[in-house]
Order: sequence, then C-alpha cells, then structure tokens
Amino acid sequence: MSLSMSRDNIVIRSLEQIGNCGLFLLRLLSAVPQSLRHYRETVRQLWFVGAMSLIIIMVCGLFVGMVLGLQLYDVLSIFGGTSATGTVVAIAIYRELGPVVTALLFAGRAGTSVTAEIGLMRATDQIAAMEMMAVDPIAYVAVPRFLAGMIAMPLLTCVFCAMGIFGGHLVGVTWLGIDNGTFWSNMTATVEVGKDVINGVLWKSLVFGTVVSLIAVFQGYTTPPTSEGVAYATTRTVVASSIAILALDFVLTAFLM
Amino acid sequence: MSQRPSYAVGTGLFIVLGFATLGYLATQTTSVVNTSRGPTYTVEAHFANIGQLKARAPVKVAGVRVGQVQSITLDAGKETADVKLAIDQRYDKIPEDTVATIFTSGLLGDQYIGLQYGSSKKTLAEGGTLSLTRPAQQLEEMLGKFFGAGGAADNLSGSYTVKARFTNIGALSVGAPVKMAGVAIGSVQSVQADPVKLDAEVSLSIDKKYSQIPDDSAAAVFTSGLIGTQYVAIQPGGSPDMLKDGDELVLTQSALQIEDLIGKFLVSGSPSDKKPADGDNKH
Amino acid sequence: MTDSVSAKPDDSALVRVRGLTTVLNGKKVFDALDMDIPRGKITAIMGPSGTGKTTLLKHITGQMRGDAGEVWVDGHSVSKLSREKLFELRERIGYLFQNSALLTDFDVFENVAFPLRQHTELPEVLIRNIVLTKLQAVGLRGAAALMPSELSGGMARRVALARAIVFDPMLILYDEPFVGLDPIALNQVLKLIRTLNQTLGITSVLVAHELEAIKQVADHIYLIANGKVVAQGDPRTIADDGSPWTRQFFGGEADGPVPFQYPAGDYATALGFPRRGA
Repeated sequence: MSLSMSRDNIVIRSLEQIGNCGLFLLRLLSAVPQSLRHYRETVRQLWFVGAMSLIIIMVCGLFVGMVLGLQLYDVLSIFGGTSATGTVVAIAIYRELGPVVTALLFAGRAGTSVTAEIGLMRATDQIAAMEMMAVDPIAYVAVPRFLAGMIAMPLLTCVFCAMGIFGGHLVGVTWLGIDNGTFWSNMTATVEVGKDVINGVLWKSLVFGTVVSLIAVFQGYTTPPTSEGVAYATTRTVVASSIAILALDFVLTAFLM
Repeated sequence: MSQRPSYAVGTGLFIVLGFATLGYLATQTTSVVNTSRGPTYTVEAHFANIGQLKARAPVKVAGVRVGQVQSITLDAGKETADVKLAIDQRYDKIPEDTVATIFTSGLLGDQYIGLQYGSSKKTLAEGGTLSLTRPAQQLEEMLGKFFGAGGAADNLSGSYTVKARFTNIGALSVGAPVKMAGVAIGSVQSVQADPVKLDAEVSLSIDKKYSQIPDDSAAAVFTSGLIGTQYVAIQPGGSPDMLKDGDELVLTQSALQIEDLIGKFLVSGSPSDKKPADGDNKH
Repeated sequence: MTDSVSAKPDDSALVRVRGLTTVLNGKKVFDALDMDIPRGKITAIMGPSGTGKTTLLKHITGQMRGDAGEVWVDGHSVSKLSREKLFELRERIGYLFQNSALLTDFDVFENVAFPLRQHTELPEVLIRNIVLTKLQAVGLRGAAALMPSELSGGMARRVALARAIVFDPMLILYDEPFVGLDPIALNQVLKLIRTLNQTLGITSVLVAHELEAIKQVADHIYLIANGKVVAQGDPRTIADDGSPWTRQFFGGEADGPVPFQYPAGDYATALGFPRRGA
C-alpha cells in the first residue's frame, strides 16, 4: 500500500491516488458487516470525531451567521429590504455555507486527527499488533472512523445551521433592530424543507462526510509509517478534502437544483 | 473501563442534539410552519392573471392568514386561472360576495391572496366559488405606465446635438438612451461637469428624423424599471419653433432618488408633472 | 558465504521453513532459507542488522509471503491459508513487538483484555480474572489502570507479553525483546521468557542481539546472514564452530564477512584521482 512518491507527473499521481482511494472504499465497504461487531468502537469514534467537534462547529456557525446578518443588512438596506435578512441568511446557510464550512472545519478538526491517529498506529505497530491478534484492522480501526464521520457530518451541519441562524438573528434582530416577527415570518415563508433543508443540509453533508472520512482514513492507512509520512498525510487530508468538498459542492448543487 | 459509559452517553447526547436540531430547522424555520394543520375547506376563485402566485401562498383576511393556495390550474378552454384555496375550518363565515385580490407583500415580496369581505348574509360553503376577483397587478405594468417603456436606441443615420443642464444626473452615463414617449430617439453623447456653474452639461445626440421637437421641451433623467439604468426622457412642449443643432433644453428635471419617485407616485398619482430644475436653468 | 547449513528434517518441529525465498525492493532477503523450530524449546535467531530477522517472523505469522518456498506452522502451510484460517492460527501465536505496540487508546487492563473481548463472549467477571492472572504473571497487576503512555519501556514490554499470552498460545515470537531495557528490566523479561517456556511449555522464538542474555535461555541458535542460515547450534558452543561468520558476529569484529565498507565504487576514482597507470 505504500505510495509511489517517485512519479513526477502530478496528473498520473492524482489519478493513482483517486484510484487507490476508490479501491480502499471497496475494502471499507466490504468490511462494514464485519465491523458491526465493533459497534462500540464506532460509538467511541463518534464521540471523538462528532461530539468533540461540536464546540468549534458551534462557535464558527455563530460567527458565520453573525457576519452574514451584518453584511446582508448592509446590502439589503440599500433596497429597503432588510426584512429579508432572515430569509437570505437561512437560505445561504442551508444551501451552501452550512454544509461546506462544516465540512471544511470537519476536515481540519476531525479529518486530520483521524489521519494522524491511524498513521501513528501504523508507525507504532498497533495495526500490525491487531493483525497479529487476529483482529482485522480495517474492520476495527478504519471502518468505525469512516462510519462515525459519515454519521457525524449531517448532525454537525444541522448544529452549524442552527447556530448560524441564531447568529443572524442576534445581529439582525437584537442589534440592528429588524422586527423579530418579520425576521421569522419572511424566513418561514420562503425557506422550503425539501429544497433547502433536505437537499442542502442533509444530502450535501452526508456526501461531504463520506468523502472527508474516506480521505482521512485512506491517507492515514496508506501513508508510510514514519513521522514524515504522517505529517504529509495530514496535510494531504486537508488539501484533498478541501478540493473534493468544493468540487463536489458544485456538482451536487447542479444535481439537486 | 470507566470511560466507556461516559463517552457512550456523550455520543448519545450528541446524536439526540443533532436530530433535535434537524427537527427544529425543518419545522420551525421553513414553510412547514405555515402549512395549515387541522381541517380545511376548499373554495375556488378564477383570476385573469395570477402573476407570480404560487401554490401554498398564503390567503389572508385583513392581513391575517386564514389558509393557503392549494392548487393553480388553467381553466379548460378559457384564459383564466382556476385557483383553489384551502381555508381553515374555523374561518367558515366568509360572505359569498367576498372579493379575492392578488396582492404583493412589499415591493419585491411574494404574492398572496387577500379576501375583502362583502356584505352578503350568505356564507361560502365547501366547494363554493368566489366570483369577484381582481387579478395580479404586474409591477412592470404599473411602472411602465409611469415611465413609458422603450426599446434600445436605434442605429442613427444622421443626428443633431442639443445640450441640457442638470443639477444631478444620478447614474446617467454616456451612451444612455434618449427617449420621447418611450421611444428611443437618440443617445447621450457626453456628460461633463461645468466647473463654473457647478452642474452637469449633457450633450444629447438626436436622430435627424425627429427634428420636429418643440424648443421648449423638457428633459428629465429617468430610471427604467425599479433598479435599471437611467435614461433621458424628452417631454415635448407647445412652442411652434423646433429644436435645432446646438440648442439648449432649458427645462430640465434632474435624476430622482427612487424613494422620491415612488413617494411622488403614491401621493399624486400623476407622473407627468414637469418641474424646472433649480439654479441657472430657471426662466 | 557457502557455509549454508541445511536443516535436518525434524518431525517435532512446530515451525518448518523450507526453501523460503523473498525479494524485497530488488534485494534478496531470503535465499532458499531452511529452518526448523522445535516444539517446547526456546530458539534464538541472530544475525547482523538488516538480515531480515523480523521479516522472518512476519513470514511465520503470514503477515508477509515469500516469493518461493513454504513456511509450515503446526502442520499448516501459512501462505496457503485463507484469511479466516490464518486468523485462527494467529490466535494461537503470541507476538511481542519490538516497540510493544500497545493500543494507546486503552489502559493496561483493556489492552490485555482486547483479544478476549474481540474473540470471545466471555462474561466480564471471567475476562477480569483472566486479565488479572496474566498481569500478575508479568508482575503488573497493580498497573492495570495505567495508560500506555505512563509506562516505562520495560513495563510496556511486560504488558505486551501479558497480552500475547492471554490465549495461552502454542508459540510466542519475541521481536527484539531486550532492546532499550536497563539490566533490571532485561532480567525481568528474561525471567518471564524462561518461566513461560518452562511452566507452560510454550515454544518460543527469540530475535535478539544480546548474546549473553540469549545464552541464559536459548536452547538453540540460528545465525542468519545473506538470506541463509550460516551457523546453528548450542548457544554455548556455537561461537567455537570455526566459521568466519560466527567468529565475526560473536567476536564482535568490525570487519569480516560482513564488510565495514558499504559496497561502493573505487575510492580513488570517487575522489577524482587518476587511476594508477592511467
């Protein structure tokens, strides 16, 4: 599974990575039934990648919502349309900012730690030790982290969105004086469950969660088990995840529109 | 060993929190909150034009929401829209001669149906029809009446130039159309600030075939549409003498802020009052 | 170099290596290696660094497969086993990693309990009893609640040993068990290796460099170099068999069959001097 670093062609190398990543996904999926025995480990990982990311997600969601409220109030006041602030905050957060920013934060917070953790487990022979104890490390180490990321992402995105709307409300209503009722009624009149919440929040975040977790686990599992290897792998997790998130966001948006 | 329950509980809390938030987002911040629950009854209304009205748009009486638009279909063989309204059961005392109007909430908002009660003692029953309706007022039509719609400027075969001075030209730029009665007759050739008189001198290039313009005509800077580009409108006067190359239009009206415009429209209802510009252009 | 000693066929051998040839990154790690590891004995495998001693252990556990030849463990050809059968076999093999490889997420107790939890549905009381018994055997019952990061190198290795014996294996592979230990810890590990072998009859394979320590416990020594067994025999007498390999290795000479100079081009040419006579 060692990466060939010698290929100088970046295109070939990227394709090779994507191909290996796809094969790795198949390995993961085929180990899912087996890893159901280790559901406790999945729960534990859900705690680490999900619950432990809550604080950063909530704080960032709050600030994103606040800055959106501020900017939109400023722009919309040109047209005398400040009452639409709530609507635009909600739509912007549900459709784009919620899933995308959460996924980027998740890649930085949880993705890197998963990559580093698995890389270090390989470097310190913990993976080999599991092999020796007749425990499939894919099923015990890789799959629980992958599943935990997949489950945690949509939930974190929901929390991010709620905090974002709260932030928009804080700035728009509490500070800038938009009427509370107007804020909510305009939002509820325009925002739709299917188009905004289900398509935007749920589908996107589920796809992002899958991709970020896959990349994080893959990078950790296939990096050379040295300290340089682990360092490279964490960097690659962030870079590859960010590119994948933004590119997929466009594709998904085009699909879900 | 002892950490197992703590993270299991924490993870459980996290999952519950996530789903609770999702439930909150889906039900409290979206149109689901407006969906009528409880029993409703259906009435029909036929409109000549529904504008931007959509299914699930609110139905209001005196501004209070009483139901929503259930469906919009085209009447078979007619050029009218059949709109079915689902009204909450508790508002079942709607008089038969109630007028249904399609309103717009705010200037740019969504459209809704407003019901104005009539005086009839009979009330509408399930499946009844509101026979008195008023169609959607298209904003474009309203503003069109006000400004006069116009196309783009033609290619000019030959032209003559007149000048006009404005105290404020707004966002008028070179190449903007010059219109009379909504028809483009030329374009703005140059815009220059006059350092002495402290106003803007605008050269208008007008097509030769429109040479029969009275020399006491007024020029005004208007905005096409609500947030569109600005243009110069010529409002003909009554003088027997016609404009010639190099003449100056003395009666001008500077660009108005959109707020003033709408305020004026709403108050006077008359868009055609001419007013001489301030300063040096007064007679 | 031609001192290859062919192993005699031995029916009592638990591990039998026949004609094992492995090429890694273009380098021949094993060249038709033959080896027998007798049941119930402590066998030491020695050799210069980089001769593939750890790699040989990985072949025995099926983590690596040779390009030719076979490895038999308890009558099974390791390379022909399915993954399930291989896992069944591994449950009967204990492996002590060079760096202990304790799971950093768990405390000492859970590390030792890990194989039990993964492979059995034993009630918690029984798991607790088994784990504490094993920890008592390595003298670390009191450290059950510590995390791996709080252990010294010697303690970590003993915990790893407790984990390796939790299923009472038939075979334990020790990969460099003495590296980085102070004399006290080294003797503790040494004592454990001997005790486990004598009281439970566990076959042991020891990969190590410490000749003095090995002399105290090993029943048999294999010296491998250049992919072959170059010497074998009783630890007390092997150094005197007269081969240049044993003389260099056990005498600790800097130069010999294992050259001091890494293979390189002509020194004078590399320094830019003209060759003599040119």
